[in-house]
Amino acid sequence: MLLFRGNDWLKSLSSEEKQKVTDQWMAWFRRLTDEGKAIAGNPLEREGKIVSGKNRVVSDGPFAESKEAIGGYFLLDVASFDDAVAIAQECPGLPYGVQVEVRPVAAECPVASELKHETQFANA
Amino acid sequence: MLLYRTDEWYNKLSQEELHELINQNKSWFERLTARGKAKPGRALERTGVTISGKNGRFVTDGPFAESKEAVGGYLVLDVETIEEAIAIAQTSPGLAYGGSIEVRPLAEECPLDIRARELAREEELVNI
Repeated sequence: MLLFRGNDWLKSLSSEEKQKVTDQWMAWFRRLTDEGKAIAGNPLEREGKIVSGKNRVVSDGPFAESKEAIGGYFLLDVASFDDAVAIAQECPGLPYGVQVEVRPVAAECPVASELKHETQFANA
Repeated sequence: MLLYRTDEWYNKLSQEELHELINQNKSWFERLTARGKAKPGRALERTGVTISGKNGRFVTDGPFAESKEAVGGYLVLDVETIEEAIAIAQTSPGLAYGGSIEVRPLAEECPLDIRARELAREEELVNI
């Protein structure tokens, strides 16, 4: 999975540059979809909420101007992690300051594998 | 979309607590799916790299798994309003133990397009 981080970089672009990046980004996603390498993808609205704690408190966030804020994602279908990294390196936003986080999708929930590991250890 | 933010709080749980949580999570998700509210979600491995710089020349390790901000998994919901998504996030069994859930609307339109339109409109106004 590719997570696109950073929202603020957009503001420094002229309207021509913005149009160019948008077109490039759309063409990139379309190509990956046609090649069967991208199976899902979406931009996210810049505002959202955070739910946390035992009392399930709702607060504003993430802050749109944060460099770390996630602006969108692609779910890829590739044979190796290196393939995903190579695709991430083609991201048209990179020259403007976008960061792409590349993460393998887990075969099972990490909480469940943690438990399995502990059980094995206890039985050893 | 729900983004699960995690600092590996689940490493502090006992085996019984973990078992209970996994079962709660499973039935929570089954309930949502049965009502057509959730599409298949995935967990993410705790490793990864971040790519930045022109032509993607910087490849660095991260995010660090122990960061509170690291994304541990996601779930795409099929709901009408953000309030409904928030209400669903609030029923997530894991919240009792730690971590947080970021609730974000999927955009109808790419923010790049919206910003390009805004700029075009500003330029038009200047030229009047």
